[in-house]
Amino acid sequence: MYNYIEYGSSEISNDNIDDQEKYEQFMARIEVGEKIEPDDWMPEDYRQGLIKLISMHGISEIMGALPEKEWTPKAPTMKRKLGIMAKVQDEMGHGQLLLRVAEDLMQPYGKDRGDIMEDLLSGDLKFHNVFHMPTKTWADAGMVGWLVDGAAIISQTNMLDASYGPYQRALQRICQEEVFHAQHGEAIIMALAEGTDYQREILQESLNRWWPSLLMFFGPASADTTGSSKQNIMIKYKIRKSSNEELRQAFLDKYLPRVFSLGLTVPDETVHYDEAQEQWIYQQPDWNEFKQIIKNKGPRSKERLRLREIAYENNRWVRQALAKDQVMT
Amino acid sequence: MSNTNESNFYQEYEVFSKKSTKSPVQHQFSLLAPNEEMALSMAVENFMRREDVLDVWVVKRSDVRRMTSEERAQWTKRLDNKDYRKTKGYGYLRQKWKEKEQGMLDEKEILSWKEVKK
Repeated sequence: MYNYIEYGSSEISNDNIDDQEKYEQFMARIEVGEKIEPDDWMPEDYRQGLIKLISMHGISEIMGALPEKEWTPKAPTMKRKLGIMAKVQDEMGHGQLLLRVAEDLMQPYGKDRGDIMEDLLSGDLKFHNVFHMPTKTWADAGMVGWLVDGAAIISQTNMLDASYGPYQRALQRICQEEVFHAQHGEAIIMALAEGTDYQREILQESLNRWWPSLLMFFGPASADTTGSSKQNIMIKYKIRKSSNEELRQAFLDKYLPRVFSLGLTVPDETVHYDEAQEQWIYQQPDWNEFKQIIKNKGPRSKERLRLREIAYENNRWVRQALAKDQVMT
Repeated sequence: MSNTNESNFYQEYEVFSKKSTKSPVQHQFSLLAPNEEMALSMAVENFMRREDVLDVWVVKRSDVRRMTSEERAQWTKRLDNKDYRKTKGYGYLRQKWKEKEQGMLDEKEILSWKEVKK
């Protein structure tokens, strides 16, 4: 569910003459809305940009299930427990789909999901900023479904026409399931918003804590903020349509009126819609903190990575049992 | 991590499913599994959590002869000259029959002939 374009290497030029012709054919195809398949020729920076985007997206789905699964045993009712279990299962399913897409792209480099997992644990592959954060109360379970998934829906629906066929097809399924996630989150939020003083209090406290992470979700407006940005190349190659800031504005547009309608506030007194500029004015989150978070220096980064590692190690016996006579280390 | 071993361990499977007796088998996505039994159970877990399903197929990707990129490019560039194979190429008959005060026995009409008088 989660992605933005934030980091990456510098552009790669396609200066070979033969490649130049292929490049023009490629651009002509995506211009008319044709989809690129894994065995089609593609520019190197397209392939590499997609690998980064999709492996980060896939791994974030899996890392995102970790803070949510903490709430499965603590869900207040049986119905809520079933709901959150279904959501956690969906997120892992999304991770599977996306890792398949990334693996097919990585095939020419002889890499697979083992390398993705290794890159995650070594810190070379980032996961989404929101999943480095702690969850403290049941309101967080609702907030993750409502606003974190809401933000994810904004960024993912923007790629539903993506030029890369397998990613575009995976996103159709993912976005359909995200609609359920969003409503699951809304149901938790609605119950708390219409509940006791204490329930409204934990809801507001949760939103206050998540607010900076939600603004950071879409990534910085430009490379000036964090040193690098891949958003332009992804727009050029018709993976996504809008910039980080346009997506953030769309999120504020859709969700802030709903936040206010529930009697909630955001921890930024300057937030308002500017009619003349036709956009939301808000205080920038601390982008230095963002850089630290995605370098695995967030409040829960190490613990979540350790959980991932434990899950991988604990399931080793299953792989060994299935491998029969293959020797597994 | 036992990277090398696990690379050999997993195989790529393509997953297909069938929603109803009337619908064709449809491609869903691919997955990695160590054998076809696991592939089938993972296919159900991964792709059939909500939808109705009558049948699921898993096929090892290496057993599928699919078109290459070049072949696909060739096939999508076929000339649009197949009217003689389609009812569209015989559409003028509608006017002819009309002149003879008869209706056209078109696809809609013919496919409605599920029963005849006893």
